Amino acid sequence: MMGKTLLLALLAALAPAAADSAPGIPPGTCALPEALVPGEAVHLPLPESAAPVDAPAYYAFPVVSTRRLPGTGLAAGLGEVTFADSPFGVTLAEDGSYVLDVWLSVERLMAPREGVYVGWLTTPDLDQVQRIGALADGGPLRGRARWNKFLLVVTLEPGDDPEAAMWTGPVVMRGMSRSGQMHTMAGHGAFEQENCAVYGYD
Amino acid sequence: MRLLHGLPILLIAALPGALAAQEHRMMGHGEHGEADGWRMPPMSMTMPMVPGLENALPPVRPFLIGDGMDPAMFPAAEPGRRVVVADGDTLDMDVSVVRRTIGGRDYAMLGYDGQYPGPLIQADRGSRIMVRVTNRIQLPTTVHWHGIRLENRFDGVAGLTQDPIGEGETFTYEIDVPDAGMFWYHPHMREDVQQDLGLYGNLLVMPSTPDFYGPSHREEVLVLDDILIDDQGLIPWGEEAPTHALMGRFGTVMLTNGVDDHRIAASAGEVVRFYLTNVANTRTFNVRFGNARVKLVASDIGKFERETWVESVVIAPAERYVVDVRFPEAGEVGITNTIQAVNHFRGTFYPHEDTLAVVSVNGPAVDDEVTQAFGRLRENRDVAEDIEPFRALLGKPVDYELVTTVRVRDLPVPIVASMEADTFYVPPVEWNDGMPMMNWLSTGNQVTWILREPASGRENGDIDWRFRVGDVVKIRVFNDPESFHPMNHPIHIHGQRFLVTERDGIPNTNLVWKDTTILPVGSTMDLLVEMSNPGSWMLHCHIAEHLHAGMMFVFEVTEE
Repeated sequence: MMGKTLLLALLAALAPAAADSAPGIPPGTCALPEALVPGEAVHLPLPESAAPVDAPAYYAFPVVSTRRLPGTGLAAGLGEVTFADSPFGVTLAEDGSYVLDVWLSVERLMAPREGVYVGWLTTPDLDQVQRIGALADGGPLRGRARWNKFLLVVTLEPGDDPEAAMWTGPVVMRGMSRSGQMHTMAGHGAFEQENCAVYGYD
Repeated sequence: MRLLHGLPILLIAALPGALAAQEHRMMGHGEHGEADGWRMPPMSMTMPMVPGLENALPPVRPFLIGDGMDPAMFPAAEPGRRVVVADGDTLDMDVSVVRRTIGGRDYAMLGYDGQYPGPLIQADRGSRIMVRVTNRIQLPTTVHWHGIRLENRFDGVAGLTQDPIGEGETFTYEIDVPDAGMFWYHPHMREDVQQDLGLYGNLLVMPSTPDFYGPSHREEVLVLDDILIDDQGLIPWGEEAPTHALMGRFGTVMLTNGVDDHRIAASAGEVVRFYLTNVANTRTFNVRFGNARVKLVASDIGKFERETWVESVVIAPAERYVVDVRFPEAGEVGITNTIQAVNHFRGTFYPHEDTLAVVSVNGPAVDDEVTQAFGRLRENRDVAEDIEPFRALLGKPVDYELVTTVRVRDLPVPIVASMEADTFYVPPVEWNDGMPMMNWLSTGNQVTWILREPASGRENGDIDWRFRVGDVVKIRVFNDPESFHPMNHPIHIHGQRFLVTERDGIPNTNLVWKDTTILPVGSTMDLLVEMSNPGSWMLHCHIAEHLHAGMMFVFEVTEE
């Protein structure tokens, strides 16, 4: 429970800045009903695994609604990961990062009045973005991450552009790889008696 | 005090005054571990001491070979030599204390036949060779012939297939070698100490046909290891039980063929066949060959069904891989261990690279039939035919299940508290020791690594599996992440061979016979084991410290 609470808090803090501008979406589309204004986290049951494989449950992570679009507040998603095919059982990229197949499945995401939902993988600081495809009927959608920490986001795009390098619409759902829960121990737990600044933290 | 080679082995417990200041000096914790002969392993300067552990020591006695004696008293070890042993011949091999030089400093270590690694024993497939081992150290030992489907009584497991070889005693191993490939040998008693001190070597079984592998210009054997050394020397091992029981003993110095500066020469364009063996206690390597093209050819017990191009070779303890590598241009190419290490304190991954060897590539470029053949990937029909009788069984239901987990007791409270607070995420594979102090303080007396059979509730040595020769058994192993400290495990099965049929529900489409394979945290793998060899055999984790923390059991295979 502790991990999930923390995860939700971290997810709230990690809302991609790009989502705020919501370019390409007709004015007014993003008006939020009162009940869906971001605030208290809504705990929804996650979808059953939709990946066609037995992905390790430990590395699965929730993909939650940003509640920025009408009708999406009750959407719930699941990100699952498996190692990309490898003769070694573990697949690594050139820099030693894991190469992971990421499976996205979503429930209760109402069809948009216009546009298309698109799934993306990106690094936590958004310096690299990879489109994984249009999300139809809740998925599953598969992408491939070559990063140890990553975000999985669903945006509402004006159209389905396979060549798109970056989303233009609002972030509708977002999730963070389980590795994102690996966090600094400075200033908490056993170390809280020491000043975080010693370790370079404010 | 014990005797070794007629000389006293001094346990360093009596020598705190001889030990210089601790390397880790941060936040006023600098004197940590400088008591009772222990020194704390080196730690990153960015990682602080866990409060409350400033004066903690492993609750076992420290142990070093020949401590207190000048290493010059021992004969200098020599680089390992290849020795061809014909069918029916006998090789004499002793176990002794040797002097090794690592990083310009001399150490008393152990060697097979005074060599590092031990002799590269070459034998023809189908032959029977004898190796007469004489123990010239006071530690009891055995020799396990890893991956060889030999007669059970020569498997080298102390207390199971033979009595330990005591000081001055001799045991003759009769080794049948039915499979071609690169195998290796090591003690099966306190591997965490003896193997780490240099007792390891390869057994190369030559195939029956000259074109078993594709053509190459030359072959290189690379034995990958690491050793834990600080600026004062070797960090002691635990005498009664292993230290580093949580994660295994990671080294600070990388050794390839026993040295930290291994160099290889090649001509530009040459295709070099590398036989890789990981003999480290716990480290899984990710071996890269610069930007050279790498073709994966074979693993533990033979070739893959199909050769494939790979970017690197992930090799867990005790695994072997055979790769062909072409170096197209003159220059120096580093063979590296390239990983994303974990900094648990900062909660980050960071890139880390160690050079395992350097290839000096000289011109002019070679361009011949061998280089041209390198560009083609072979389909190995002989392998496919060998596997064919098992193909219909790849999808059979699981016969037996195992779950890996861990229990701890009596660990210092700060360790338990810190780890419980920092286990929101555990990586699939621990590529480095991200918590050296806590790991060092955990011993085999406090940590029990477990193979548990859910169906019976039995654990480790209580598991009772019985098979008949000819049985083909599917075993599912799940690495339970919901434990105190889950970790990857290289699972090794003695005396038999197996196929990894699935990982996390994904079928393996390029099979190869294995004897050891890695199981990442949270993952599930299915092994199809051919029970071809009668006897009492072990199944265990090949992280030396995990093995000695209980992670093993014996199964029986009887004649039909």
